[in-house]
Amino acid sequence: MRYKLISCEVFYREMCYTISQSPHQVDIEFLPKGLHDIQSSMMLARIQERIDATDQSQYQAILFGYGLCNNGIEGLTARDIPLVIPRAHDCITVFLGNKERYLSYFNNNPGVYFKTSGWIERGTPGKEFDQLSIQQKTGLELSYADLVKKYGEENAQFLFEELTKYKDRYNSFTYIEMGIEPDDRFEKQTRKDAEEAGWGFQKVSGDMTLIHRLINGKWNEDEFLVVRPGYRVVANFKDTIIEAEPCDSADQK
Amino acid sequence: MEQLQKLSEAIINGDAKAARELTREALNHRVDPKVIVKDYLIPAMDEVGKRFECNEFFVPELLIAARAMKGSLELINPILASRGDKPAGRVVIGTVKGDLHDIGKNLVASMLEGAGFEIIDLGVDVSPETFVNSIKEKQPTFLALSALLTTTMPSMKHTIDALKEAGIRDNVKVLVGGAPVSSRYAEEIGADGYSDSASGAVGLVRSLMT
Repeated sequence: MRYKLISCEVFYREMCYTISQSPHQVDIEFLPKGLHDIQSSMMLARIQERIDATDQSQYQAILFGYGLCNNGIEGLTARDIPLVIPRAHDCITVFLGNKERYLSYFNNNPGVYFKTSGWIERGTPGKEFDQLSIQQKTGLELSYADLVKKYGEENAQFLFEELTKYKDRYNSFTYIEMGIEPDDRFEKQTRKDAEEAGWGFQKVSGDMTLIHRLINGKWNEDEFLVVRPGYRVVANFKDTIIEAEPCDSADQK
Repeated sequence: MEQLQKLSEAIINGDAKAARELTREALNHRVDPKVIVKDYLIPAMDEVGKRFECNEFFVPELLIAARAMKGSLELINPILASRGDKPAGRVVIGTVKGDLHDIGKNLVASMLEGAGFEIIDLGVDVSPETFVNSIKEKQPTFLALSALLTTTMPSMKHTIDALKEAGIRDNVKVLVGGAPVSSRYAEEIGADGYSDSASGAVGLVRSLMT
């Protein structure tokens, strides 16, 4: 079989590792992680553009290294060949191996930022997203100096407090080790970040199962959505996270 | 009244100090506090909402305008309360269980407060039980639920289900919002309304009042 993989670059090492051992021929196209910081409709358009640019006569399916990602894949439409998408809220589900484990970890640790090799190596969005990012557009990433310049000293103090308050509720880094890292450099980096921020640190083992199954064509219905030609992705906010609906469905968003 | 026009401008520009001073001055000149709210504060916040909708204002402008307005209201509300004047309506608001984000929720609360509503803000990570208890105790007209993550959106449904179970679903109108929330989802979980912006929330609440 020959597949095309369109993936967020946050999975770079995991996808490359798995594809090197796959019985299938898989062509990879990584897209920037910064797509997550722009409006979901723009993220969708960028990914759809890559589907449409794919010569579909060459492949049996297009695989996706994406979760629902804040509705950024909602509306993705299959053209001539099926799309295969993990049933995941975001990449952390994929790193942890299944959605149940993610949900239980998330429910018990709501104030956690996750780190993996990809989040460390590719965590900073490129320049092309500077002006487009929601944080930038809404003023959420303005520095204290910027705030003073724009709104005056007194308002700046208030704004800085308001706009960074949510960060105070996050108090821990969880490093997910996938078992394919060259050494402990990423764990060390996360420990260092935690120490500098005065945050807690946890390390958990990742699970390559979902990635293996995605790349190796083992798409069971519980873990993957297969979108047939003429169908598109919708979020269903149930345990299955996403489903497919016909493109001519009257209930268009 | 020219001074009061300045009050509107101070709110729009987020000048909290000027807004307080102008309000105090107006009250000293025996301007009816209700007139200050209805003719100057509410229109000022409406203008802020409009500018936000057309991308002229962003989150920081909204926050400082709301803060200026709150400063004004702190002087006015005790007088209104002592006269027995009632707010436009009462809103219980909170970010649902599991979700720690509150900028959007705070903006909605501020805009509604600016529109003359009494706000009871339960904060973030609010469980369905806490919402139920607050509805029972405070008997608001509206319950506004916020979520920023697709993982926490189901908590909106759980909250509405909890209201049903407690037999108080029809006592309150439930509004939902937050980046990943859609009108489709609002309909699916049986909410009464959805808005995609803080200023839109004001229009929504007003439309549901009639």
